[in-house]
Amino acid sequence: MGDIGLLLDGFATAMQPEYLLYALIGVILGTAVGVLPGIGPAMTVALLLPLTYSLEPTASLIMFAGIYYGGMYGGSTTSILLNTPGEAASVITTVDGNAMARAGRGAAALATAAIGSFVAGTIATVALTLVAPTVAKLAVQLGPQDYVALMVVAFLTVAALLGSSPARGLASLAIGLFLGLVGTDTLTGQQRFTFGVPALADGIDVVVVAVGVFAVGEALYVASRMRRGPIPLTPVGRAGMTREDWSRSWRPWLRGTAIGFPIGTIPAGGAEVATFLSYSAERRLSKRKEQFGKGAIEGVAGPEAANNAAAAGVLVPLLTLGLPTSATAAIIIAAFQSYGIRPGPLLFQNESALVWALIASLYVGNVMLLVLNLPLARVWVKLLQIPRPYLYAGILTFAVLGSYSVNALAVDLLLLLALGVLGWLMRRYGYPIAPAIVGLILGPLAEEQLRRALAINQGDPVALVSSPFAIVAYSSIVVLLGVGVYLKRREARASAELAAAQDRHLVGEQR
Amino acid sequence: MNAPASSPDPPAAPDTGRVRGWPWAEVPFPLALVALGLFTVIEATQITVPGSTNGIGPRAFPYAIGALLVVTGVAVLVGLARGQRGEAETGEDVDVEVGTDWLRVAMLVGCLLALVVLIEPLGWPIAATVLFGGAAWTLGARPLWRPLLVGALIAVVTQIVFTQALGAYLPAGPFEGVAFFG
Repeated sequence: MGDIGLLLDGFATAMQPEYLLYALIGVILGTAVGVLPGIGPAMTVALLLPLTYSLEPTASLIMFAGIYYGGMYGGSTTSILLNTPGEAASVITTVDGNAMARAGRGAAALATAAIGSFVAGTIATVALTLVAPTVAKLAVQLGPQDYVALMVVAFLTVAALLGSSPARGLASLAIGLFLGLVGTDTLTGQQRFTFGVPALADGIDVVVVAVGVFAVGEALYVASRMRRGPIPLTPVGRAGMTREDWSRSWRPWLRGTAIGFPIGTIPAGGAEVATFLSYSAERRLSKRKEQFGKGAIEGVAGPEAANNAAAAGVLVPLLTLGLPTSATAAIIIAAFQSYGIRPGPLLFQNESALVWALIASLYVGNVMLLVLNLPLARVWVKLLQIPRPYLYAGILTFAVLGSYSVNALAVDLLLLLALGVLGWLMRRYGYPIAPAIVGLILGPLAEEQLRRALAINQGDPVALVSSPFAIVAYSSIVVLLGVGVYLKRREARASAELAAAQDRHLVGEQR
Repeated sequence: MNAPASSPDPPAAPDTGRVRGWPWAEVPFPLALVALGLFTVIEATQITVPGSTNGIGPRAFPYAIGALLVVTGVAVLVGLARGQRGEAETGEDVDVEVGTDWLRVAMLVGCLLALVVLIEPLGWPIAATVLFGGAAWTLGARPLWRPLLVGALIAVVTQIVFTQALGAYLPAGPFEGVAFFG
C-alpha cells in the first residue's frame, strides 16, 4: 500500500504549476513533432537534451515524458490525413484511417485514435504503476552477470527484429557499439579510439550522434528522394464519432491495450508488432470483415490503442532495469545519465520522489493530450501543410543548434555532418537506425557490467552463464527470437493480404 | 468518393524478390563495415593495459565489437550475393521509386560545411541564415530572398532565446556587444 502513498506524493509534485507547465510544453511539443513529417520523438528528445543542463531533473524528465506520449498521439494524424505513415508503428492505421478520411470521416477517425490513445495510455499507465515497483523489488537482487544477460537479450532482440534483415540490424548495432567505445575507458582511464583528438576524450556526445543520424540523416535522405507535387492532404471532414462509432470502438480500445502493454514490456520488436497484432485480431473478430481496408473504424481504434499501450509498456524495463527497447527509450536513459541518475532497480529507492512524480505526470499528460487534441485537431492539421523545403531546412538548423550548444565546438559539427551522412546511407540501404542508438547508450553500460561480473568472479567466464537468472535470460533469447520471427511473419502476411485487399478495392473504385 | 487520392503511381516491381547478380551500389557499405571492424581490432591492440587490471581489461570489448562488425559486414555481403537486397526506408516525404539525387545531397552537405566554416568568424545569426536559406533553396524554395528572410528571423530569435533565456553560448560575430545577442 506504500506505493499508493508514494504515487499520491508524486501527484502532489506533478500538479505544482511549474511542473504542469513543463508537462504542457512537453505534450504540445510532442504532438507537434508527431504530426510533423520527418521528426520523431527520439530526435525531439535528443534535440532538447542540451536543455537538461539548465533545467532540474524532475522538470526535464516530466517534459520528456510529455514529448514521448505526445509523439504517439501525433503520429496517427499523419497516417490518417496523409496516407503515408511517419513510423512503422502507424503503418497499419494508415490503411483504414485514410480510407475513412477519403470517405469524409476523417474527424471520426482522428477522434477514435485520440480517445483510444487516452484510454490505452491511462490503463497502461495504471499497469505500469502496479508492475514497475514489483519488478524493481525483484531486480534489486540481480548481480552484474544478470545485467549482462539482460543486455545481451536486449541487443539481440532489438537488432534482429528491426529492419529488413537480421544481418543489417546487427550491423547497425555494431556501429552503435563502436561509437560507444570512443572516449575514455571508465574502469582504467585509458583513451580508446580518440585518435589524439581532445574533443573525443569524453566520448562522442549522445546528442550529436542521435541528432546526426536522425535529423541530418533524414534531411539528406528526403533531399535525395523528395516526393514531388502537392502534399496529398485529405480533408478532415465534419462528422464526428456517431453512437455506432462509439459502440464499435470501445472493445478494440480495450483489446488493443491488452495486446500492446505486454508486448511493450518485452524486447520483441516494439510497438509495430503490437499494432499489427491488434489489427489482425480486430479483423478476425469483426462481423464486418469486408469493411477492413476500406475504412473500418475498428482498424483505427485497435492499433492506435495498442501503439500507446506499448509505449507505456516500454517504460517498465526502462525505469526498473535501465534497459531501453526503443531509440526514444535509449535517449531518455541518456537524459537520466546527464543528471548522474542511473535508471534501474535502485531508482525506486534512491530517486523515489522523482520516479513517482514522473509516473504521476504520465496520467496528467494523458488528460492534457485528450483535452488538447479533440478540439485542436484542425490546428495540428495546419502543420502538415508547412512547405517541405522550409520544414527540412528548419530541421537542419535546429540539429546544428542543438549539437553546437552542447559544447560550443565546431568539431562537433563536423562529426554531426559525418554521422548525418552515415544516417542517410543507413536509410538508403535498409539498415535500421534504432539498434545503433540502443548500442551506443547500452554498450558502455554492458561493458562495465561485464567487467565487474568477471572481476567479482575472479575472471571465471562460466559465472556469466551460471546464475539462475542468467540461464533463464539466455534461454528466453531463443523464445523471444522465435516469437518475434513468428510475429514478423504474421505481420508480413497481414500486410500482404491488406495490400491485395486494397488493390481490389481501388480497382473496384475505378470501374 | 472521388478518384483514389492514394498511391499516385502504380507500385513498381517489388524489390524484395531475389535478384540475380550483385547489386553494386549496395556493396560499399558492408565493405566499409568489414574495414571498420578490422581497423577496430588492430587499433585495439594499441590500447594501453594498466598492470593492475584484474579480469578483462580495456581491450576485450573492442575486440568483440570489431569481430561483430566484420561478421555482420560479411553476412550482409553473403546476403547480397544470394540476391537479398536491402529495403530503403519509407517516409512521409520520401518517394522510394525515384533515383538518388546526388547533386542535391552534395549541395545540402555544402550548406552544412558553410555553417561549420562561418559559425566562428561570422557568428550564429549570419551562419544560420546562410544554412537555412541555402538548404531551403536547395530543396526548392523560390525566390531566394524568402528562405533567406525566414532563416534570418529564425537565426535571430534562436540567438536571443538561447543566450538570454537558456544561458547557452552562441557566437554573435559582428553583433558582439549588441543588446540581447551575446
